[in-house]
Amino acid sequence: MAKVRESPVATCEKNFLLKALSNYTRLDGRAFDEFRNIKIQFGKDWGCCYVALGQTCALAQVSSEIQQPNSARPSEGIININVELNPMAAAHFEPGRQTDMSVQINRILEKCIKDSKAVDLESLCIKVNEKVWLFRVDVNILSHEGNIVDCASIAAIAALAHYRRPDVTSDGEEIIVHTYSQRDPVPTVLHHHPICVSYAVFNEGEVLLADPTLLEENVAEAHLNIGLNAYKELCTLHLGGSTTLNQHCVIQYTEKAAKRAAEVIDFIKKSLEEDTVKRDQDEVADFSSTLFSEIQEDTVNALIGTLNTWTTQENKWKKPKQLSNIEIVENDNSVIEVVGEKAAALVPRGKDESDVWICIDEDVDDDCILIES
Amino acid sequence: MVINIGDVVYPGDTINNVESLRGVTLFGPGLHRSDKPNKLQITRAGILSFKTPNVYWVESLQKRYVPKKGDLVVGVVSKKAGDVLKVDICSSELASLSTLAFEGATKKQRPDLQVGDCVYARLLSAHREMEPELVCVDSYYKAGKLGPLSVDGFLTTVSLNLVNRLLNIENPLLRTLGKKYVYEIAVGMNGRVWINARSTKDILAIVTALQAAEHQSDKTILEICRKY
Repeated sequence: MAKVRESPVATCEKNFLLKALSNYTRLDGRAFDEFRNIKIQFGKDWGCCYVALGQTCALAQVSSEIQQPNSARPSEGIININVELNPMAAAHFEPGRQTDMSVQINRILEKCIKDSKAVDLESLCIKVNEKVWLFRVDVNILSHEGNIVDCASIAAIAALAHYRRPDVTSDGEEIIVHTYSQRDPVPTVLHHHPICVSYAVFNEGEVLLADPTLLEENVAEAHLNIGLNAYKELCTLHLGGSTTLNQHCVIQYTEKAAKRAAEVIDFIKKSLEEDTVKRDQDEVADFSSTLFSEIQEDTVNALIGTLNTWTTQENKWKKPKQLSNIEIVENDNSVIEVVGEKAAALVPRGKDESDVWICIDEDVDDDCILIES
Repeated sequence: MVINIGDVVYPGDTINNVESLRGVTLFGPGLHRSDKPNKLQITRAGILSFKTPNVYWVESLQKRYVPKKGDLVVGVVSKKAGDVLKVDICSSELASLSTLAFEGATKKQRPDLQVGDCVYARLLSAHREMEPELVCVDSYYKAGKLGPLSVDGFLTTVSLNLVNRLLNIENPLLRTLGKKYVYEIAVGMNGRVWINARSTKDILAIVTALQAAEHQSDKTILEICRKY
């Protein structure tokens, strides 16, 4: 089979991106230190977790087996992390083949989760020197739109936290592995939840973009991957590429990443709790419902996006009237109007409160007449 | 089962009683000739479309581009080898573009194209076993709208379905956007769209509009456009 090449980055794309950055805009309208939305969904099996970071998606599955321990560490279980880059994610990825990129991602994840001792390996020991649990975390990237590392790390840690291994008892000689129906499965003991936060470096550290998209990743000079847990403890620090970055910059962005990590870990824990509640109520979790809601949400957002795009230039035609998710937060003398996701407008409030809002119907009518005439 | 125009069809379905003009029926992507007379076999999932008097095709959602002779595409130069440029046109193989295939190009005077530059070109030949070949001139050796694209613009990728819809003469989206913004656009059949406008903000707005149009039906777009 012929190899599919990665499509090259065109000069005009690169120039445009850099020009936009010099105007303090990103192509998807995010702020420089703004991250994409995370979506976490758990599957039917224990340890099955789907994470979407914007358009980038990953599916992690934890599996376990009993094995003889490493002779250097006879009383510790083993954990293997494996990131698979399929052609499903991007056409130029080859299945079952190690590339520089996959090795690097694997290594960063291993450093982040395994080397930081997030999982209590001693609790995975069944019999010293003879039998321990081996956990295997398989992360499949489903769609590659930049920043695989963050997405995979969130998926891996969430899957580990969600996973339950079968209970094991011993009657002196024999070791009995109980099925899930015989005995309640045992959750994994996690000391802390480390996740990766990535930045793309431009202009020798002048501009750092949080959570880079595919194009930003391709154009960037270097990538800064920071592995952190909720207690601001650094687990990984990886700077790939070639750039000059000063130490203050690294420290400053590690601080920022710590904030983000705490938020993400909170979100993971919340999702886990929600999943537990669902399982208690015997609701079968599957991905089909997510898929459907995702599509619908996208379409609605797209429509609003279109309308707003066309109204930014000339504000003749006002915003769509009935937005289901409009929320009005009262301030002292101004109103913050939330329009869709991550968009808000500060509208100053006049003295006569009843006449603050422009009557949209009239405006629309006026416009229609104008066009017709 | 009777299949009507506008129905969702699947591979393996057959259309009976095909319309023809003087015994001729034209059929496009997603259709295959059947052994039996007056019948067409469907080879792709999508919406069956028909244009009077005798043209049939299936509109499907495809992202991978398969080169076809005569298509206008936007490519990115990815290699330079002597007289020939290798151009990425999102197909399985790189296309070749001779530096002499530009208007007014001679051995001594050829266009200055670097790796990473964009070109708008026409496919001269496309076969399954052969490398696709591009040209930037028409049969009269005139460039017309073809040729290198400026490095000031922006390149974005949309689905092939959207490209077909945008190029439909009845689709008002590009014209409506033209009322608001001054812009230049090159829509390639391979899904690449090159856009240039006065400011970064304008380009971004147009890109967003195109991305939003991807999820909208033609009817919705028409309705929205009518308001401007």
